[in-house]
Amino acid sequence: MAIPMPVTTPAAILRNAGRGPTMLKRLGELGRELWQDKLGTLGFAIIVGLLLMAIFAPLLAPYDPAAQSVVSRLKPPAWLPKGSWEHVLGTDHLGRDVLSRVIYGARASLLVGVVVVLAAGTFGVVVGLWAGFKGGRTDAILMRIVDVQVAFPGLLLILLIISVIGPSMMTMIIVLAVTNWMVYARVVRGIVLSVRQTPYVEAAEMIGCRTSRVVFRHILPNLSSPLLTLGILEFTNIVLAEAALSFLGLGVQPPATSWGLDVANGRDYIFIAWWLITFPGLSIAITVLAVNLFASWVRVTTDPQEREKRYAYQRAKAAARGRRQSPANSEGGSA
Amino acid sequence: MNLLTRLASSAALAAIMALSPLAAQAADITIAIGSEPSTLDPQVRDDGGERAVNDNIYETLMARTPDGELVAGLAATPPTQVDPKTWEFKLRPDIKFHNGEAFNADAVVNSVKRVIDPALKSEQAAYFGTITGAEKVDDLTVRITTSGPDPILPSRMYWMKMIPASYSADAKFAEAPVGTGPYKFASWNRGQDLVLEKNADYWGAPASIDKVTFRFVGESGTRLSGLMAGELDVITNLLPEFAQQAPKFAAVSGMETSVIVLSADNEATKDVRVREAMNLAIDRQALAESLFGGYASPAKGQLVNPKAFGYNKSLPEYKHDLEKAKALVKEAGAEGRTVQLVGEAGRWLKDRELIEAVGAYWTEAGLKVDIKIEDFSEYLNQLFDKNKRPDAIFVSNSNELLDADREMTSAYQSGASYASNSDKEMSDQISAARVETDVEKRQALYDAVTTKAYEQSYLAPLLNQQDIYGFSKRLEWQPRVDSKLLVKEMKVTE
Amino acid sequence: MGGFLLRRIGQGLLVVIGVTLIVFIATRMVGDPVKVMLPLSATDAQRAAFAHQVGLDRPIGTQFVDFVGDLTRLDFGESLWQRRPALDIVLERLPNTLKLIGAGLGLAILLSLPLGAIAALKPGGWVDRTTVFVGLFGLSLPQFWFGLLLIVFFSVTLGWLPTSGMGGAVYYILPAITLALPSLARLVMLVRSSMIDELNQQYVRTARAKGLRFPRVVLVHAMRNTLVPFVTLAGWELISALAGYTVVVETVFAWPGLGLTAMQAIQKSDLFLLQAIVFTVAVLIVVINVGLDIVYKLIDPRIRLA
Repeated sequence: MAIPMPVTTPAAILRNAGRGPTMLKRLGELGRELWQDKLGTLGFAIIVGLLLMAIFAPLLAPYDPAAQSVVSRLKPPAWLPKGSWEHVLGTDHLGRDVLSRVIYGARASLLVGVVVVLAAGTFGVVVGLWAGFKGGRTDAILMRIVDVQVAFPGLLLILLIISVIGPSMMTMIIVLAVTNWMVYARVVRGIVLSVRQTPYVEAAEMIGCRTSRVVFRHILPNLSSPLLTLGILEFTNIVLAEAALSFLGLGVQPPATSWGLDVANGRDYIFIAWWLITFPGLSIAITVLAVNLFASWVRVTTDPQEREKRYAYQRAKAAARGRRQSPANSEGGSA
Repeated sequence: MNLLTRLASSAALAAIMALSPLAAQAADITIAIGSEPSTLDPQVRDDGGERAVNDNIYETLMARTPDGELVAGLAATPPTQVDPKTWEFKLRPDIKFHNGEAFNADAVVNSVKRVIDPALKSEQAAYFGTITGAEKVDDLTVRITTSGPDPILPSRMYWMKMIPASYSADAKFAEAPVGTGPYKFASWNRGQDLVLEKNADYWGAPASIDKVTFRFVGESGTRLSGLMAGELDVITNLLPEFAQQAPKFAAVSGMETSVIVLSADNEATKDVRVREAMNLAIDRQALAESLFGGYASPAKGQLVNPKAFGYNKSLPEYKHDLEKAKALVKEAGAEGRTVQLVGEAGRWLKDRELIEAVGAYWTEAGLKVDIKIEDFSEYLNQLFDKNKRPDAIFVSNSNELLDADREMTSAYQSGASYASNSDKEMSDQISAARVETDVEKRQALYDAVTTKAYEQSYLAPLLNQQDIYGFSKRLEWQPRVDSKLLVKEMKVTE
Repeated sequence: MGGFLLRRIGQGLLVVIGVTLIVFIATRMVGDPVKVMLPLSATDAQRAAFAHQVGLDRPIGTQFVDFVGDLTRLDFGESLWQRRPALDIVLERLPNTLKLIGAGLGLAILLSLPLGAIAALKPGGWVDRTTVFVGLFGLSLPQFWFGLLLIVFFSVTLGWLPTSGMGGAVYYILPAITLALPSLARLVMLVRSSMIDELNQQYVRTARAKGLRFPRVVLVHAMRNTLVPFVTLAGWELISALAGYTVVVETVFAWPGLGLTAMQAIQKSDLFLLQAIVFTVAVLIVVINVGLDIVYKLIDPRIRLA
């Protein structure tokens, strides 16, 4: 890492997609760069772990998360006096295995998070592109809709709609997607407008490039990094929203599991069974924290200015360390 | 007062409160109830929050002892029947409402007429459906008339709160109630608390607690935290798991009885042997122990509340006998037959657990059980669907009037509410009992009904639940079978 | 300015119309209010009577005209739960929510300015790192969980603070902290990063070169420029708290505000009350938005309001 390297953004990687070896190399570079950011790496590792946990839940979970057992209710975690290794994190008020519920709970959080972000993101991006390209009246109307919806009493309206339609995972996904697309539309439109003013796009449009070509060749690459960061941050919001709605009883419904739902269920038992709210709550917190840590690495990595700062900071640190140890190590220290 | 002194005094107040958070005076107590009263008009709503408060402010002609026995309240003696449709009440003399109005025949007539007036649209109308009117005989004598012979009228008058004759027309009546009871309304901070003070001029035995504050706490976990933190003196609906956790607790036989209504007409459960097997397969004692920590008792072969009039003392409980259940299923050729069990989750204490446990017992007996936990509205659709009865449906029945007519109408009588049989004979007996004013004949009719239903296994009665209350260390109280929170019966020891 | 205000108010009207449409469609066309609001043990006759009483048996067009007409007269119907005008209940509970938001957001604002500024003075220092880390935690903890932990620790274990409800000053402490947590995290991060940027600007170096003392530079110049994004974010926090984000905190602490009332309305199937809450809050948000725009204009004349 002695030589200042060219700015590599995920956008650049996307652009280079298909050129096999180059892409691998870039990925490798990104990986090495991530490794430098210990907290980012930790976040990334946790995310990968959670994904695996959600996907392979049936293999990992020792019990069916909905299986009740009246004889083994409210058993404490294994390391406590009355606990046993049959139920590592104990059991809840219906005798369900807390560990299995935590493992399965990852599914609800991640599924809702990913689906909502994809759905709201796709819709928002389409609206943003459309508004940015059409301009004029279309733009004005679309952006007015965005403005108006942003000023809605969001959560209260969600409560009203869910209470009328009846709570379910599907209702929650739809309602969250419908109330969260605006931010993407705004960002995309802003970028489209600014990119279209750059000389090369103006030129491309002048010589009669098809709109689709302009969008795919010039605009999308510029969109990918801000959208990536935005999508990741929105993901944390959706995970928290899912947990909150499920906690209020308006999200995931039993017998399905969700961390928020489990905290709500455990709430009545906080005095005799602290583990009921602790583990699901901790799972939500860890998930969101991991995504946030990873997001802040992504943000810095995709922003050239921030990257320079980070690079300079690392050099300075390496140099300082080098001076303290031996001059010969100064370059190797930061690698 | 300038801003500075105001700030200083509020800071001082805050400091005092921080030092002794909510430590109440010796004879002041705080009770947490699950929901805030929607109104304090005692005749309009059928609302537990309103009842909890107004039971201390208002009184009724008839009252119950803590154990459920019907006795005279504001009436001097139990009523006498003038003719099959007319009951005469003699009133206690010299009783005054909190605002000084006299409690007399006019007040009673007004109370009766107001609550049955269709214009009031009272939700309590169901309790008073048979009452047609009231008339004053003299200042302390009132006659109440019914549409037909009504043996339950005295019980009904235990539910009807007596309101003052003139103040009840006041616009403030619903916010600042005035009754004859041991406690007077003091203040209502909507959303926060409601305070009652001792009525020094109470006609009966004086209460020992001077001031009671009701707080509205919906979550049972939050109520328990309040109790543990010493903010509360009484909490209701303590979960069985916490009984040992609370500083003090008391359990009393409650009004809720859970039951599974079995269809006598559906193909799957038509054979009485199958239904009997379903009853015998259930280990009620184990359910009471494991789900309710022992704070429930197996229902004795009937849905009727043990404290209610009409309870059949001779019926035994369906004794758990898995082998016999298996044999019966086999005999009926029903092995592996699919039986639908419909239920809901969250409305009643441990409902889902009970339903799933019962389903498991039936599976052991050799049936195939299809458990359908519906959302509440769909569940109610099925519960009240007269044309298409589910094979088996779970419900929990509560009996406020403590009279068997309630259970008869809801679960026994064909076509009346959610009964799943089409037993004409039984239905006629129930209708006859409803107008039978001779106490013994009426009891005999109910005994006949419950015995037949027991033999036919029309129902699978499950558990009589107990109400569990949590108390602070200093509070002493014997909870009542009618679940009323009567502060005058409470004491603090300090 | 006048034209701008008119445009803003016009936009506010659009918001109110949008909310009207959504509520109408959701409650009258997607869902069936009669089914939702009456107990299902109600007979068909009772249902029909109720539908007639609240005018739900008329053609949908007529219903819409009536619906809008009622709204313009501020008539939200009678709460089924409390049998009094829904608006009365809303106006009774709204101050409680505002007090909670005031305490929570006030706490976040008061703490975030000094914390962010101190962190920015020495980026990478321990104060800075702690601030960043606490900020990340604030954004990651689910509020309802954090609130429950506070109750267990401070109310039940230590017995210092009340577990729930509303009353004197002590009752505010835990709910306000819970409500403040995520806002504080966002505000602190914003103050920190914008102060770091400002302190790197040429004018700060110039001012210091001219001999101005550092604290003065920080306080007067950098802070003032940080104020614009800060007020924007604080305004957004205020609006999103109003928009329903107090529901969770109010539910956890049984705080008798609009959010808890909304949850109670849902439990009691009181659609009219829920509707009244949504509209009142929508109008309030519109008003606050206009107010915020004026504030921006006052603190930063450069902003062109369009």
